[in-house]
Amino acid sequence: MTHAVKHHPGIPLLEQYIEGTLEADIALAVAAHIDLCPHCQQLCQDLTAEQGLQLELTAPTSSMDSTDFDGMLADILAEAPLEPSATTTKQATHVQVQLKDKTFTVPRALARLVKQQTKWTQLGSIATNKLPAGDKRHVSLLYIDKDTAIPQHTHKGLEITLVLSGQIVDEQGSYGVGDLLINTPDDTHTPRTLPDEDCLCLSVLSAPLQFNKGITRLLNPLQHLFY
Amino acid sequence: MLPKDETTANVRTGQWEDALGYVAVHQDKAAYSELFRYFAPRLKAFGMKMFGNEQQALEMVQDTMLNVWRKARLFDPSRGCASTWIFTIARNVRFDMLRKKQSRKDDISADDLWYDGNYPELEDSGSHQWDTVLMTEKLAPHFERLPEAQRLVMVKVYLEEKSHQEVSDELAIPLGTVKSRIRLALDRLREALDDTRS
Ligand SMILES: [Zn+2]
Ligand SMILES: [Zn+2]
Repeated sequence: MTHAVKHHPGIPLLEQYIEGTLEADIALAVAAHIDLCPHCQQLCQDLTAEQGLQLELTAPTSSMDSTDFDGMLADILAEAPLEPSATTTKQATHVQVQLKDKTFTVPRALARLVKQQTKWTQLGSIATNKLPAGDKRHVSLLYIDKDTAIPQHTHKGLEITLVLSGQIVDEQGSYGVGDLLINTPDDTHTPRTLPDEDCLCLSVLSAPLQFNKGITRLLNPLQHLFY
Repeated sequence: MLPKDETTANVRTGQWEDALGYVAVHQDKAAYSELFRYFAPRLKAFGMKMFGNEQQALEMVQDTMLNVWRKARLFDPSRGCASTWIFTIARNVRFDMLRKKQSRKDDISADDLWYDGNYPELEDSGSHQWDTVLMTEKLAPHFERLPEAQRLVMVKVYLEEKSHQEVSDELAIPLGTVKSRIRLALDRLREALDDTRS
């Protein structure tokens, strides 16, 4: 993987991710991006350290606070520390996804969810696999065969796409492995794959896409394939 | 010498890292009690801000501090401060508490989102290429908007031309914090410049 990641979530989003205040499905896309992006790994380490410092320097609850901290402390000390075997640091483990006799690597953040889901829905050169992560938004793996265009569409909500393999090109530019495309409501674009390379992405959608042109509008009722 | 940043002046570096080390190796109850008495009330304040509810805030404190006791062996001082580690535990506990309340199974969990292991080491990306452009007029307004703590470090390094070590001594913050504040500030400025270009 020699491609340098060009499109990052940006510090405000990373900050919310680190605080834990970012909505879970968006945070999942950000986490998967970080797994693929050394630059953001470093920034997150820095932002986490700042949060830690803030906790350390925060004013404690006042002395008027009647919380029984002594009781809590005694309860905790009555518990046994975990055995060393239960406290070994985790290794970053990605998983392989099999599709059309091709194997794709999916980053650590998605590994557990992807392992639970093997059912692909196929329409022509596009296939989707919905992950069990949805709240308000739909989270899915999206496979697009080589030399394929997703017809021009407008987003009725937020669309976040993280490229996991291959490349996507749209009116704004080209996106490779690790790049995060964030489209906000009312953005319009026509993403396509390269003539000789298929593409796997993670897609987080908060509302169905709306197809704009001619016969592709017939796709609008078939939304669930993309959503 | 400039007055020390009063919010950071009273932090003894290394104190909590040492305490966690004693807990990890000897299950040292005295060291743990010291950690508990310092962090539990602060975690409660943090929880009150996040939950706006005392009962949930305390549940978070108890769960977090129990993890600190039981998993102290997982703390690796080479990867950051004790407070950073404790913060991440509290954040994850809070996240999973909120998800559980919405009673979802198979759902996104804190373990999916936040990796608590090592990514491969990175070269410290040089900030030297910024030296020449940094104080141009274009950048000045963005510079003013940096978070206070980062701006202070940037002023000392780039305007007063102090070394990272000098800034660390002056502000009584770890050298790593100086470096990380510079990285964060540079990245914010980079983003601000990208926005003005497009
Ligand atoms: Zn990134
Ligand atoms: Zn789109």
